[in-house]
Amino acid sequence: MTINISKGASLPIKEGIEKTILVFLKSLLEDKIFDGILIPMRVPAGDSYAWILVKDSLILDKANPLAPVMPVQGAKALKSLTRKGKGNLKFAAVMRPCEIRASVELAKLNQVHLENITLMSVDCPGALPLSDYTQNPQKGEERFKTLLSGENWGDDSTKPVCQVCDHFSLLPSADFHFGLLTGQAKTLLLIAGSQKGEQILSTHKLSASVSLADWKKRVDERTKNKKKQRADRFREVQKQVEGFDGLLQVFSSCIGCHNCQSACPICYCRQCYFDSEVSKLDLDFILQKAERRGSLSFPLDKRMFHVGRMSHMSLSCVSCGLCSDACPVSIPVAEVFSYVADQTQHTFEYKAGEDRDADLPIQQYRLDEIKGIEKWVRKAEEVES
Amino acid sequence: MDSCLKIKKSAEQGLSDFLKSLLEKNEVSGLFTLRKSGVNHDFDYGLITDTQMMKDAIPLHPFMPVNAAQELSRFTGMRKPIAVVIKPCELRAFVELVKRSQGNLEQFLIISYTCGGVFRFEATTAGKAEKQLPAYWKAVSSGKNSDDIRLTCRACEHFVPMHADITVSLIGEKIDQECSLFLHTEKAVKMAESFGEPLSECEMASKTIDELRVQRQAEKHHIFEKIESQKGLDGMIQLFGKCIGCHGCRHVCPICHCVLCDFESHLFDSETEIIESELNSKGALRLPPDTILFQLGRLSHMSFSCVGCGMCTEVCPAAIPVASIFMRTGEETAQLFDYLPGRDVEEAVPITVYKEKELSTLGE
Repeated sequence: MTINISKGASLPIKEGIEKTILVFLKSLLEDKIFDGILIPMRVPAGDSYAWILVKDSLILDKANPLAPVMPVQGAKALKSLTRKGKGNLKFAAVMRPCEIRASVELAKLNQVHLENITLMSVDCPGALPLSDYTQNPQKGEERFKTLLSGENWGDDSTKPVCQVCDHFSLLPSADFHFGLLTGQAKTLLLIAGSQKGEQILSTHKLSASVSLADWKKRVDERTKNKKKQRADRFREVQKQVEGFDGLLQVFSSCIGCHNCQSACPICYCRQCYFDSEVSKLDLDFILQKAERRGSLSFPLDKRMFHVGRMSHMSLSCVSCGLCSDACPVSIPVAEVFSYVADQTQHTFEYKAGEDRDADLPIQQYRLDEIKGIEKWVRKAEEVES
Repeated sequence: MDSCLKIKKSAEQGLSDFLKSLLEKNEVSGLFTLRKSGVNHDFDYGLITDTQMMKDAIPLHPFMPVNAAQELSRFTGMRKPIAVVIKPCELRAFVELVKRSQGNLEQFLIISYTCGGVFRFEATTAGKAEKQLPAYWKAVSSGKNSDDIRLTCRACEHFVPMHADITVSLIGEKIDQECSLFLHTEKAVKMAESFGEPLSECEMASKTIDELRVQRQAEKHHIFEKIESQKGLDGMIQLFGKCIGCHGCRHVCPICHCVLCDFESHLFDSETEIIESELNSKGALRLPPDTILFQLGRLSHMSFSCVGCGMCTEVCPAAIPVASIFMRTGEETAQLFDYLPGRDVEEAVPITVYKEKELSTLGE
């Protein structure tokens, strides 16, 4: 989807990008445009980041709008704030584009209320794998600094899904955006994506007078490259996972801990079906099942779980990679799910988290959809006859 | 002196033969054991009913993909017993679950072994485990702590099974030449007789076992000392600050058997207005909330039953040494009540009984 915004405001960078954004956010708090800002902050031990909702502008000094890692998906933090209602106060959430997308999906699923939330995004250079960072936080900080200031965004120090992410910049669903890909280190761009965003600029007496053409060109070029890399990578993933055997193999080391599901911003069920009482089975039934094949693998339904999860959430998958970060046995969950998600979303001409007004495919009925399936059915019928 | 069945084969081969014979002679209706699965050097627990499938069984492999107690508690209803080969801490955890009406010991023939510990997940990826096995078995044979096993295994004193029907003696034994099965119950003796070889009276390698226990105790003190400096609320913030709230620790914990944890239920969803008023009074809030509270809640619910299996540390995406912390706390809380998890199925869980005189030190 193209964005019809041609102009933004520019902000001179002083003492680094992070600091410049923080000073700007601080002024929004002080001017009472927002009652609080949801933003990552380094934890006291310095070995990771957490989401903090900040009202006190002095505390905001310690926040970081560009954290090297994404330990918790921002949409989850937003869910814990607004699951039960929109509240009375106005908040800004400063997030990566994939976190904005997940928030929009959760809003469609009624798990997040966005009425009083202004979604602010940044051009995202990618995030480091969580385990790389926690092993050596200092090195992680340095590596991310190099990544951010360099030309090689989404390089191989970032998560595999970040390396092939084609949604790293302003989305139609964001209210406000910090454009970092300006090609020079002196200014960053402030871009209003909605009326809420325009209000920020106008109450701040900033005029959207700077052309975005140059920035857009850079973003488009990078998007094009990333799309190609994504297609290439997913061709490899396809080879790895296609068919029943491929699926069995890729998840064969799964221990059934369901960390992927718990870390996933889209999987919002309090209790997954696969964790429910249904998983307790009568011994005779288990034995019968085992006897049919000679043996039975435990935990039961390890792979079925992944297929089930896929069918439930792949239409809303935003390729944030939290599932891979959370997997204790290093299964490339995120790559597999992203690959499938691209296919299912394409089938329904849907792009998760891009358009706030587009209905979730599972929430609507169309007389005319999934045409591709007819072809498969016909093919299957031919094979049978 | 216990009744003992000695099989002149390596421990794993001998045990596999024994299991196979149980299945062939219809003594059991199935075997629950670790086995090779898939093609990527992966291992899982399998319920085997066809003797042909015994070729994949590796009952003594030092690996714990899940705490087996969790799986055994899914089995409800009875037929003929199932033989299960599980580690001592899995057995202890299962005993704790039985006390909580989450399982049934009678439906199993429980085979356990003097345990040398299990490999860490990261040490087993991509076939690394096979390379480490010779060194591991050498250490087990000589009663030494191996490298690459879980920290809580290195610190585990309860590596001799407490409740098994049959104990395979590994620590201090010539495991490449002989398989010694110690038979503790009538059920076990009856099954062993069906194997068709004479039983004898023997003793376990108690000297080596004692030596290993001393090493393990020293290691335990060492681990506990390390986290000792991080006591109190500040310490917890240091340790658990990086928690991502995935609750993976709870999911894999054999003791945490609740189908839905309170912390994941609607009870812990706050009204947006309540969060807002808290923000107004504090100036800043961490979201999602209750990071430390979750740990404290879990500690208070299960710590005295913690068997130190180490699953929680293995699955923690944030590399928090959860198991060491829980083992350390668990030992202290259990001692308060003279309790040892998994020791005796008749011994009631402390929170389920009322004693007029207890926790007297708290009064001081």
